[in-house]
Amino acid sequence: MSEIVFENVSRTPRAGVKGPGAAAWLAALDVPVPRTPNSWLPLPGGLIARLGLTEFLVEGSEAEKLAAPLAPGVYPVLRQDTALVLKGDRLNDLLLETCSVDFRALDLAARPVVLTSMAGVGVTVIPGEEAGMPCCRLWCDGTYGEWFLETLTGVAGELTQSSQPRHQGTTP
Amino acid sequence: MRLPPQSGEWITRSKPLGFRFEGREYTGFEGDTVASALWASGVRVLGHSFKYHRPRGILSAANHDVNALMQAGGTPNVRADATPLQAGMALTAVNTFGSLEHDAGSVLGGFARFLPVGFYYKAFHSKRLFPLWERLFRAMTGLGRVDFATPRLRTPKRYGFCDVLVVGAGPSGLSAALAAAEQGADVVLVDEQTRLGGSTHGTSDLIDQVTAHPRIRVFTDTFAAGYYADHWVPLVERDRITKMRARAVVVAAGAYEQPAVFRYNDLPGIMLASAAQRLIRRYAVRPAQRVVVLAANADAYRALQDFIDAGIEVATVIDLRDDVPAEQQSMLAALRIPLHRGHCIVEAIPANDGKRVAGVRIAAVGAVTPAAEIACDGVFMSVGWAPAAPLLYQAGTKMRYDDGVHQFVPDTLPDGVFACGRVNGIHTPAARLLDGERAGSAAAAHCGFGTMKAVSVPAETESPTHPWPIVSHPKGKNFIDFDEDLQLADLENAIQEGFDNIELMKRYSTVGMGPSQGKHSNMNALRVLARATGSTPGAVGTTTARPFFHPVPMSHLAGRGFTPERRTPMQPHHAAAGAVWMPAGAWQRPEYYAVAGQLRAQCIEGEVLAVRQGVGLIDVGTLGKLEIRGPQAAEFLERVYISKYAGLKVGMTRYAVMCDESGVVIDDGVVARLADDHFYFTTTTSGAALIYRELSRWNTLWKLDCGIVNLTGAMAAMNLAGPKARAVLAGLTDVDLSFPYLAVREGSVAGVPARLLRVGFVGEWGVEIHVPAEHGAAVWDALMAAGQPHGIRPFGVEAQRLLRLEKGHIIIGQDTDGLTTPGEAALDWAVKMDKLFFVGQRSLQAIAGKPRRQQLVGFMLPAGHAGEAPKECHLVIDNGEIAGRVTSIAWSPSLSRHIGLAYVPSDMATVGKPFTIRLSDGSLVSAEVVKTPFYDPDNLRQKEAT
Repeated sequence: MSEIVFENVSRTPRAGVKGPGAAAWLAALDVPVPRTPNSWLPLPGGLIARLGLTEFLVEGSEAEKLAAPLAPGVYPVLRQDTALVLKGDRLNDLLLETCSVDFRALDLAARPVVLTSMAGVGVTVIPGEEAGMPCCRLWCDGTYGEWFLETLTGVAGELTQSSQPRHQGTTP
Repeated sequence: MRLPPQSGEWITRSKPLGFRFEGREYTGFEGDTVASALWASGVRVLGHSFKYHRPRGILSAANHDVNALMQAGGTPNVRADATPLQAGMALTAVNTFGSLEHDAGSVLGGFARFLPVGFYYKAFHSKRLFPLWERLFRAMTGLGRVDFATPRLRTPKRYGFCDVLVVGAGPSGLSAALAAAEQGADVVLVDEQTRLGGSTHGTSDLIDQVTAHPRIRVFTDTFAAGYYADHWVPLVERDRITKMRARAVVVAAGAYEQPAVFRYNDLPGIMLASAAQRLIRRYAVRPAQRVVVLAANADAYRALQDFIDAGIEVATVIDLRDDVPAEQQSMLAALRIPLHRGHCIVEAIPANDGKRVAGVRIAAVGAVTPAAEIACDGVFMSVGWAPAAPLLYQAGTKMRYDDGVHQFVPDTLPDGVFACGRVNGIHTPAARLLDGERAGSAAAAHCGFGTMKAVSVPAETESPTHPWPIVSHPKGKNFIDFDEDLQLADLENAIQEGFDNIELMKRYSTVGMGPSQGKHSNMNALRVLARATGSTPGAVGTTTARPFFHPVPMSHLAGRGFTPERRTPMQPHHAAAGAVWMPAGAWQRPEYYAVAGQLRAQCIEGEVLAVRQGVGLIDVGTLGKLEIRGPQAAEFLERVYISKYAGLKVGMTRYAVMCDESGVVIDDGVVARLADDHFYFTTTTSGAALIYRELSRWNTLWKLDCGIVNLTGAMAAMNLAGPKARAVLAGLTDVDLSFPYLAVREGSVAGVPARLLRVGFVGEWGVEIHVPAEHGAAVWDALMAAGQPHGIRPFGVEAQRLLRLEKGHIIIGQDTDGLTTPGEAALDWAVKMDKLFFVGQRSLQAIAGKPRRQQLVGFMLPAGHAGEAPKECHLVIDNGEIAGRVTSIAWSPSLSRHIGLAYVPSDMATVGKPFTIRLSDGSLVSAEVVKTPFYDPDNLRQKEAT
C-alpha cells in the first residue's frame, strides 16, 4: 500500500469522565481501568484510554456504562470529537510532517496514549500496528475536525504523490 | 577544459547539458555545478563583486563563492559553485549594471578612495543628505531580482529523530557515524555536498561501509542550518526542512580553507588549493595551465600532487614558512619544482583585460620590493584553515585559540555535543579518522549505547595554518573580505577610528556581514585586529555566531505552515445562506449574509431590523462553554468572578466579569446554575482556551472540591432573538417559555436535549439554545424552518455588534484594553468588593480611592450629522490634547443616529457633556455624552415575559 487511508470513526459511541473519583467509579462499573496515565486498554468492542491522572475516554459499546449515576468526584465529559483511524506505509511520514512526537520510539506493547499537537491542533493519539502496517487512532475537538482532516489528507496527498524520501540507507 | 576521466568524478560524460550564461550558449555535463561547467568552458569571470564590481571567478567551489551569484529565471542569488547544472538553464550574473562584459558599475573601483570604511555611517551622518544617500544606496545595492509573480512554494517541514546526528561527512564524520552506529546508535549523517567524503580522496571504503550500514541514514545536499536547545538542528534540503531532534550531536563540519591576502588576490584564476582539487577530482576540470602554489602547510603539498597528476604545470611553490619540512622540500626537488621558502606573493599581475591573473610578483616575507615575477594563469593558495564551528558556538561551546594549530578549537563542549576532525584542530588525514571514531563512540555511549572507546589521536606535528598570511601593499586592493570588497587598509582604518573591538569592527567595516558571513574573512580580520592592538587572536575572540549558519531560502522559511481553523456544526448552513466570513480567533464567523442586489451595509441593516421587528438567529457556538461541578463549584466561581454566585438560585443566570490579578477586565460571560453543585457558564469567543487554562490553574492551586470541563467544542449554541422568537420556538420545545429573563431551563428543542438561557445581549426577547454539537445543525435547521412564516433571518457578527451597541453592552477586547478596570468600563455595579476574595480584588482595593484615568461613556453624534463619521479608535480631543478614544461606533437604524462608546476623562463623563473626535484627516467632529442603553433604556423588550 502506498497510500494513507483515513477512516472517520467519529460516530462511534464515546463518553468521557474525569475527576478524582473517576477511576474508582469506572472500576465499580466493571470497566477495566488502565493503571498508568497516558495508556489504554482494549474493551469488548472498544477501548478505554487514561488521559493523564484522572480523566478517561471510553469508546465503543462500553461507553453506555458511563450513563450510570455519578459518584462524588466524578464529572462527565461530553465527547463530540472528530475521531480518525489512519493507516498506511507512509503514515510515519505524515506524522513526521505534522507532529513533533517520535511515535516510532514508543513501546506499543505498553499501549501508550499521546496527548500532543498535530498540525497545530490538540490531539489524543493511540499509535499501533495492524497486519504489519503502521496505524493510529486519534481524536481532536470536533470543531477543528473538518479543517484537520482536510489538512492531513492534503499533506498525505503530497506525500503519496511525491517520490520517496531522499535520505539513503535503511530507516530503522 | 576537461581533463581525462578522473577516478570517482561526479560528472556523467554521456549526458551533456546545454545552458546559457549571459546570453551565450554553453555545454556541461550532468553532475557539474554551474561554476564547474563554465570554468570547463573557459569562462573565468563568473560575477562581479558587490561594491567595486570587480571581476571574480572561483574561490572555494564549496558553496561559499558569493561573488558568483546568479539569477536563474525567477530565482535570484543562485550559488554557481554549488548549484547542479540543469539543461536549459538561463543564467545571468546578479550584480551588474548592464552585463558582465559591459558593467557600468565597474567604474566604482576608480572611486575606491572616496568610499572609505564606514562609508554608510559617514554618509548617513548628515540629516540633510540622508534622502539622497538612501536613494543612491537603494539603487546601487541589493543582489538579484525578486519575481513577485513567483507562486508561493509550500515547502514542507518535517520532524526527524535520531540518537546521534553527525554533521559533516568528511573522513572524521564518516568515521564518527560508523563508530556510533557500530555501538548500536541510530545515526543520521548529514553533508551539504551531494556526495559523501568531504574534500578528501581515499574514503571510498568508509563510504561504502556507511551507506550499507542499517543504522545510518544519510542526508546529502543538506546543511545543518543552526543549533537549538536540546539538540534540535534544522536540516535544510533543497525541497524541505527537517527539524532533527538528536540525543547527541557530533560536529565534524571541517574547516574553510582561508585565502592569503595580497594585492589583487581576487583576480579570476586565484583560488584556494582545495577549490582547484574539487574542480579536478569532482568535475574533471583543469583549473589552470600553469600555476603558482602559495603554501604554508602540508595540505598544500598534498594538493600539489593532485595538480601534477592532473597534468598542471606548477611553475613554483611560494611558501610563507622559512622552515619547510624536509619531506616537503624533497618532494619538490624530486618534481623539479622551484621552492621559495619564506616568501610571499606581494601582488598578482592582471592580464591586459584585467579579468584574470597573468602572473605574480614575489618577495621575501617582510620585504617591500618584489624579488621576482612569475607568469601563470592560476594561483592556488593553501595557507591555512578556519574551523567551521558556528554550530559549536551556537550550542554553547567554549572555544580557545590553539597556538599549535593557529585556530580556535573546542575547549569545553556542552553535554551531548562532540567535535572531531578539522573543526577540532585535527588535520592529518589518518588522525581525522581516529578522531571521528573517538567522537562517534563517545556520542553513542552518551546515548547509552556501549562504552566509549579509548582512541588515541595523535597531535598535529606542524601547524596547518599560518598565523599571518597577510601582505600589506601601499596601493591596496589586497582583499580580506571578498563579499564586501574590504581591503586590509579598511580594517586598519576602522581600528584607527576607534572600532577596536571585534564586534564593533565587524559592524563598522561590515567585515563578515556579507552572504558568506565571514567564512573566508573573519579569521584574517581578527588577526589584523590582534596585531594592530598588540593583542592575540585568542584575546580578540570571534563574533557571535547566530543561526542560520548558511542562508536558508525564504521558500523554506515561509513554506508550509499550519493555521488551524475551527468551524461550528452550522458552518455549511451559513455558507449556503451566503455568509461573508470574518476571522474571530481560530474561528471563521459570518460577518453578515449577502443578499443579492444589496450592499454590505444594507444586508447588515436588514438583519438588525429583522431582530428588532421579527426574529433572527445567530450562531454563537464560538463562545467558550465551560461546566463546573462539585460541592465547592460555587466557591470557585466566587473566587474567579467579580460578582457573587454562591447565592445564585438554581435555574437562574448572572452576568459574569473576570479580572486578572491586577484588576484588569479580561473576560465576560454568563453563569447559569443548573444545580446546587453544577454550573454551566460561557466565556468570550477569543478567551475560551485561555480562560479554561487559567481556571484549571486556579483549581489546581486552590484544591477545591470541584472539577471543570471544557465543552466549547462539544456544545453548539445559537441565539434566537426578536419579538417573534418565542412564537418560533414554542412549537419546537417542551420548555415553558414563560420562564423569566435571566433564567435557564433544561429541556428539549427539536427533540434534542438542550439548555435554554434567557439572555438579552441584543436587547430583544431572546434565548440562547445550547445543544450537543452533533445536533447543532439539525436544531438550526428546525429553527430556521419554524421561523420561515415569521420572516426569520440568520444574522451575523456585524448585526450583533450593532444590536448590542444599541443596548450599550460592551465587548471585552474592543471596548476594553489591557489596562481597563471594571470601573472604567462602567461595570462598577458588577464588582462585589464585600466578598471575601476574588482574583483582582486587592488591586481594585488599591485603586479604589484614586481618581479614574478614564471612563467609558455612550455618545451620539448630532442628529442630521452629514459628514464623515468617526471610526473605532479615532481619538477624543480636549483642548488640542488626546483625551480618549472611540471604542465602538455605528449608525443605528433603530434610532436614526450615530451612536458609540468612547473613553473620556472622568470629568467629561457627564450626560450632556459635548466633546470632539478627530477624524483621520485631522478634522474634528462634535459628539455628546448620552445615557445608555441607547435603545429601550428600561430593557422592557428583553425582559418581556409573555
